[in-house]
Amino acid sequence: MAKSLEEQGRSRARIFDTLAGIALTVGAIVFVVDLFIGRTGFDFGYVGAEVPGFLAATQLTFYVTTLAYFGGMGIGFVVGWARTARTVPVGKILRDRTALLSEDTSRWEAGLETGRLVLWSGLKYYIRRIADGYVEIMRGTPVFVQIVFAWSVLLVNYPRLDRMELIAGIVALTANTGAYQGEIFRAGLQTVHSGQVEAARAIGLSRWGAMRHVVLPQALRLIIPPLTNEYIGLLKVSSLLVVIGIQELTGYGRSEAFRSFKVFEVFAMVTGIYLLITVPLSKVIQLIEMRYRIPGLGIQATGPESRV
Amino acid sequence: MIRVEGIHKHFGPLHVLRGITFEVPRGEALVIIGPSGSGKSTLLRCINLLVEPDEGKVFIDGVQVNRQDIRPEWARQQVGMVFQSFNLFTHLTVLENVALGPIRVKGVAREVAEEKAKQLLARVGLAAKALSYPAELSGGQQQRVAIARALAMDPKAILFDEPTSALDPEYIREVLDVMAALAQDGMTMVVVTHEMGFASNVAERILFMDAGVIVEEGRPEEIFGNPKHERTRAFVSKILR
Repeated sequence: MAKSLEEQGRSRARIFDTLAGIALTVGAIVFVVDLFIGRTGFDFGYVGAEVPGFLAATQLTFYVTTLAYFGGMGIGFVVGWARTARTVPVGKILRDRTALLSEDTSRWEAGLETGRLVLWSGLKYYIRRIADGYVEIMRGTPVFVQIVFAWSVLLVNYPRLDRMELIAGIVALTANTGAYQGEIFRAGLQTVHSGQVEAARAIGLSRWGAMRHVVLPQALRLIIPPLTNEYIGLLKVSSLLVVIGIQELTGYGRSEAFRSFKVFEVFAMVTGIYLLITVPLSKVIQLIEMRYRIPGLGIQATGPESRV
Repeated sequence: MIRVEGIHKHFGPLHVLRGITFEVPRGEALVIIGPSGSGKSTLLRCINLLVEPDEGKVFIDGVQVNRQDIRPEWARQQVGMVFQSFNLFTHLTVLENVALGPIRVKGVAREVAEEKAKQLLARVGLAAKALSYPAELSGGQQQRVAIARALAMDPKAILFDEPTSALDPEYIREVLDVMAALAQDGMTMVVVTHEMGFASNVAERILFMDAGVIVEEGRPEEIFGNPKHERTRAFVSKILR
């Protein structure tokens, strides 16, 4: 079967595109490699010998990231839940309330009832506002500043604290990821249809029972992909801890580079290790997403938000 | 069995219920009709306290339930509810949907609850679907599961909020048949519906609501055949056509 002239032309153009693409990529890599190690060559011996040191630094990166991540998950759940609360300002409740009190309740009862209502909704209102503010502040400021701030606070107030940098770093990252995870939880909880809560309450489940047995199991399925993305994002952000002198992967790499002057080898290792962690993790997300999808429901798994 | 006295409900500036009083004796099937926005759904939700009435009293089995010293959860266990959009728990199988309430609310052992759930599913003709997920069922099947879920709590009465309005026409029959069988068995029911066939064949009494008040009540043949109020007549003529 002879192809039409037009089709032949198109497939020839496609082959040309592919070849040109490969040539450009290879050329670019060769150029960059030559720029860095053209004169010295890549020192495989150095890389082989230094692997244990880099692995220890990777461990520290994992340690910091994982601690902050799960601490942030606790904060995130509470903050996310608080931000789904519908609240009414206390003033409005008082105004509505006086209009609604029926005449046969005694004044004492009415006062008690109103007091209880004001206390509860006032509490709800302020918790909601605090959660809002927390998320705005954490997402609205650079994580770099947060890290330096936490570190400075400890440095000035507790100068004799043991492992101060580590504590400051973990605190800053926890607070930061808490806000981002709070947004993930909020989105997840709000995506679960309100009818589900209504049905759960209608069979007699309490507020917390409905959350635990109906809303959370559905929300968690939806937010596992964005939550995993957040772990990847946090792992990358943890490289900023270099600024307060923590010897995690990036910090260790910097010290090594200046000690051995094998800059290219060192950063090939550092970037390689980051990629070895992040790329498989994002593949895992895709698998999880396919495995747990509830038909017709889903939050788009987007890349981790940039926050530097 | 169910009695409401002088119920008022406001949503912001909207006065949705303006003093509703009625009673449903044990074993009666009561149907509420009325134009949309007349407060029918809100009234149902006031009975099981999914919506808290601003004013007035709700009695279930002689006990006032909208009181400070009674947990609304307790009231909701006494009265089942079936929703327009089914609201089955999407992450649970049909069997788990039915058994969840008894297990988590009443503390019934899992095996016992699931055994009973199977019987209830058989009663609504869905024993074979016990291990399916809601998304795998037709609308009619989902609504029958929802009825089984309400029955699983051994309620004293069941509230139906337009149970067939979200269904494709071919599935309406099967749901109405289950409801008619329930009424036959003596279940106390309050049904908001636009199914006039059901209303005239199954209901013992019909309430017509408009703009937050009960305009007229009576036996089906009175409401449909000889309505007294102008508003009832206008509504009935529109839906009977």
